[in-house]
Amino acid sequence: MDWILLAELSANGVFVGLMYALVSLGIVLIYKTSGIANLAQGAVAMTGGYVAWALGARAGLPIWLAVPAALAGMFVFGLLMERLALRRMIGQPIIMTIMLTLGVEIMLRGLLPGIFGASVKRLDIGIPQDPLFLGDLLINRATLIGGSISLALIVLSLLFFNSRFGVVMRAVADDQTASWSVGIRVERAVGVAWGLSAVAATAAGVLWGSNQGVDWSLSLLLIKALAIAILGGLDSIPGVLVAGVIVGVAESLATGVLDPLVGGGSRDVVAAVIILVTLLLKPHGLFGRHHIERV
Amino acid sequence: MFYRRAGIRHTRYQDERQLFPLRFDRGLILVVLALLLAAPFLFDRLYVSGYLLPWLIWTSAALGLNLLMGWAGQIHLGYGAVMGIGAYGSVHLVRFGVPLEIAMIVGGLLSAGIGTVFGAAALRMKGIYLAMATLAMQYVVDFVISHSSAISGGTLATLQVPPVRFLGIPLAGEVPTYYLALAVCFVVTLFMLNVRRTSFGRALAALREKDYAAQILGISTFRYKLLAFWVSSFIGGAVGAVLAVTYLRAISPDQFHIELSIQILAMIIVGGLGSVLGPFFGTALILFAPILLNNLLGFGANAFGVEMPIDLRAHLPLVAYGALVIGFLLYEPLGLAKIYANFRNYLLVWPFRHAQR
Amino acid sequence: MSMDRRSFIAAGSAGLVAPFAGPAQVFAQEKIVRFTLAQDFTRIYTFVTSEYSQGQRDYFTLINDRGGVGGYKIVADVTDHANDLPRAIEAYERGKREGAVLVDPLSTPVARALVPRALEDKVNMITAYSGRSDAADGSTFPYVLPLSINYWTQAGLIIEHFKKVEKGSLKGKKIVFVHIDTPFGKEPLPILNVLAKKEGYELAVFPYTPPGNDQSAIWPQVRRARPDFVIFWGAGVGQTVALTEALRNGLPMDRVSSSVWLSESDMDVVGREQAKGVMKVEPCVGGREPKVIKDIVAEVVGKGKGAGPENKVGTAYYNYGVQMATLMVEGVRKAAEKAPNGPVTGPWLNEGLRSISNFTAEGLLPSTTITKDDHQGGGMGRIARWDGAKFVPISDWFSANQDVVWEEIRKNSEEFKKSGK
Repeated sequence: MDWILLAELSANGVFVGLMYALVSLGIVLIYKTSGIANLAQGAVAMTGGYVAWALGARAGLPIWLAVPAALAGMFVFGLLMERLALRRMIGQPIIMTIMLTLGVEIMLRGLLPGIFGASVKRLDIGIPQDPLFLGDLLINRATLIGGSISLALIVLSLLFFNSRFGVVMRAVADDQTASWSVGIRVERAVGVAWGLSAVAATAAGVLWGSNQGVDWSLSLLLIKALAIAILGGLDSIPGVLVAGVIVGVAESLATGVLDPLVGGGSRDVVAAVIILVTLLLKPHGLFGRHHIERV
Repeated sequence: MFYRRAGIRHTRYQDERQLFPLRFDRGLILVVLALLLAAPFLFDRLYVSGYLLPWLIWTSAALGLNLLMGWAGQIHLGYGAVMGIGAYGSVHLVRFGVPLEIAMIVGGLLSAGIGTVFGAAALRMKGIYLAMATLAMQYVVDFVISHSSAISGGTLATLQVPPVRFLGIPLAGEVPTYYLALAVCFVVTLFMLNVRRTSFGRALAALREKDYAAQILGISTFRYKLLAFWVSSFIGGAVGAVLAVTYLRAISPDQFHIELSIQILAMIIVGGLGSVLGPFFGTALILFAPILLNNLLGFGANAFGVEMPIDLRAHLPLVAYGALVIGFLLYEPLGLAKIYANFRNYLLVWPFRHAQR
Repeated sequence: MSMDRRSFIAAGSAGLVAPFAGPAQVFAQEKIVRFTLAQDFTRIYTFVTSEYSQGQRDYFTLINDRGGVGGYKIVADVTDHANDLPRAIEAYERGKREGAVLVDPLSTPVARALVPRALEDKVNMITAYSGRSDAADGSTFPYVLPLSINYWTQAGLIIEHFKKVEKGSLKGKKIVFVHIDTPFGKEPLPILNVLAKKEGYELAVFPYTPPGNDQSAIWPQVRRARPDFVIFWGAGVGQTVALTEALRNGLPMDRVSSSVWLSESDMDVVGREQAKGVMKVEPCVGGREPKVIKDIVAEVVGKGKGAGPENKVGTAYYNYGVQMATLMVEGVRKAAEKAPNGPVTGPWLNEGLRSISNFTAEGLLPSTTITKDDHQGGGMGRIARWDGAKFVPISDWFSANQDVVWEEIRKNSEEFKKSGK
């Protein structure tokens, strides 16, 4: 057993997992406040990547301006998505909302490459490519920086939940009717959650886009993000953090250890297996809250 | 006038309980059926093998999924994988020389067996969690199929379907394959029409509304959830076999990916959850809207010189696909079946709109 | 709400009914040859299709503006099949009904599903850089024409080049093969394994999960294997990520090679400077130097008739499109020579395509000869290296290891024959 390889894979896995966790953060934010699993989160990340690219390369903004502009724009996009589509679905069966988000996913995946062209776009946010060696260990600069930014953003969102508006959102998450009755504007809280989740997705889209180039395949971040969200518990932000690291390391190690055994890329299937095992053993994830169901 | 109800009096309970009490409905169905039967001789080959054949196959699959989602209320995002299991099972059997009739049924049983494992997840979870579990299973099945070369068929990962016979008739050319698909679709439709009149169908409906409540009423949720998955997966597997033999003729793992699952899901959403008629409409719309839009854009470009960037033109059908799903969910969540029902209800009393019902 | 619903239904039904109008008969009076170019613009093959199709259409415009070929004009119906079989089969059937004698799906799954149909209906199917590699065996697949070097040949060419770099022997060397974990990615494995035995190199294989947007766990292992050479095999986003990860792991670029699927736009994503040195297989000349491309620039693009953005003219994938178009047109020319008055049918064009000999399209292609047995065209290609601005050839046109490749082709086509008929 090559321990250094394992150490290196684990180290990279941690950061990659954090970058995935940024996408799941959006899923969790939405589920927490409105009880909807947003399967369009991957496509929203893709949209964010495209918008940042368009502002940078098409509109000619410098990258330090293009990214914040994209984040702001996508916040509005998230608000609109909730206002125009999801709010009208309140009271419909779960399958309808799931399907609606899938419809949004399909549409975005057609719309953005249609407008901006299907070829892979370069999005350079200035992360150098050269290898970084720590002794015998190689740390991937891009994932190191990407993972740290993700970590910062997730911690920031944790802090946000302790602010005044964060408390309001927690109240909404607890009980919508009760929040209503004490004068909390539930719709606004839900809307802001969608906006923030679009912001998180955009940040992830930009980070991944700088890593791999921007094209439709950014929308495939969804399955990993779902695995993390489920493992952490769909309504827990600290869960995202822990589960992100677990999933990242597990996947990374699986490629090192499992791939030679099964003779294939086991990466995606690891995410699927994590979802399955979590749901079978601990359906509400590591940190998720249990629901009590009434007839 | 249309859908005339005057003069229809039932003197026996059986008459009242028949599937289509209105004569007009019966006539309409007979006309459609006759048209479908005569289609290979009426229409060009393009329409038979390019439109009608996939329509029948996908409709059968959508009906199978609708049993699970519309009747039993269990979300399933991995139906494509279920069909893939049936397709691979039956094609392997056929390649070993097993007659297609048996291979189809064994393929269905195989799907039913593995599909019930999906169902086992439903015993513990529901709603979003069930959706995720079935989604995950889709990936696992995909992985297993494409990574065991014994299943997927060697380096090129393509399994050729050998020439087969069904009930002694060689399945070659568009006419026999079309009739096989039609027959399967007919059987599935008949089953679906009747299932809601059985205790099984009513148990599923109770399960859909509230499983705890159903349990209190004495319906074993354990048994009926598994049974719903079993039946629906069996249909999926058998239809997967038909799909492989009549339409694809060479199967590879990527044909049964998540896209197929979502496509079939979209068909029943657009068509109407829990309706038998709906999947027929929904399949037609989801399968053909992109094709028609594509042809329309091509026609527009040729005839009127409407030029648009090829990237945009090529992506519009995908946008339309998404927009269709979103549009129906927002404006008509009960789907095309409901639109048809509205139309029918309007004609039921036409021209005496204000008559008391 | 009711108004909403009604207008929604009205708009929907209008959209449904309208497109039943037939296609325009543009060249109703002239002698035409119809091609169905249904390709995947929207799903998996997005990275290549728009440039490839642009090249094809520009070349057909060039030929038609010059008065056609052998008295025939080319009509190319370009549609999108989105890698979706119902749509592809509909496009194929529609094309056939309108009299198309050739179809170019540019998608492996679609090509595989269309093989039985094309053989049955006698419609020529072009499977350039896609479809079944064993379709090179013309005796088994008379109507399936890759007309280009398949992946087995490409792998053979790369190994041969490495051998040349190592002064004639690969004994004891280590070659790492990083590939996308799909049938397409695994395709070169048999050839690489056979050659490993023959040449004595050590082969290590690392698959990555499609589409390959995250390979961060693969490349540390590649680096630790301390390879002498690396071959990476994927398409689209997988290629650029593979290259960036190789860079981040400090692998020397001039020892890294890929198949034909590497283009200028990939280099833009990776960074033109950083990617300097990477190699690829070139099936035809890139850039705007070849006479055909110059003609297109002068007579088509220069007159504003170009099918797409001008800066894409002369990119690798654009030239692949032109390459295939020249071969199709050459097939029509040969067919018209043999039977000037047609009738234009699949077999008519098939005769022409399968008698192309020593064709170079005025310096765009290596000398290509299609025979009734060999649909690959001779298996010639060359290796090119990225110099920071363009791909520069570092070898002449050559062919290598064809014995091994053909053994594999025969093995698979035998298998097809056995299960097919």
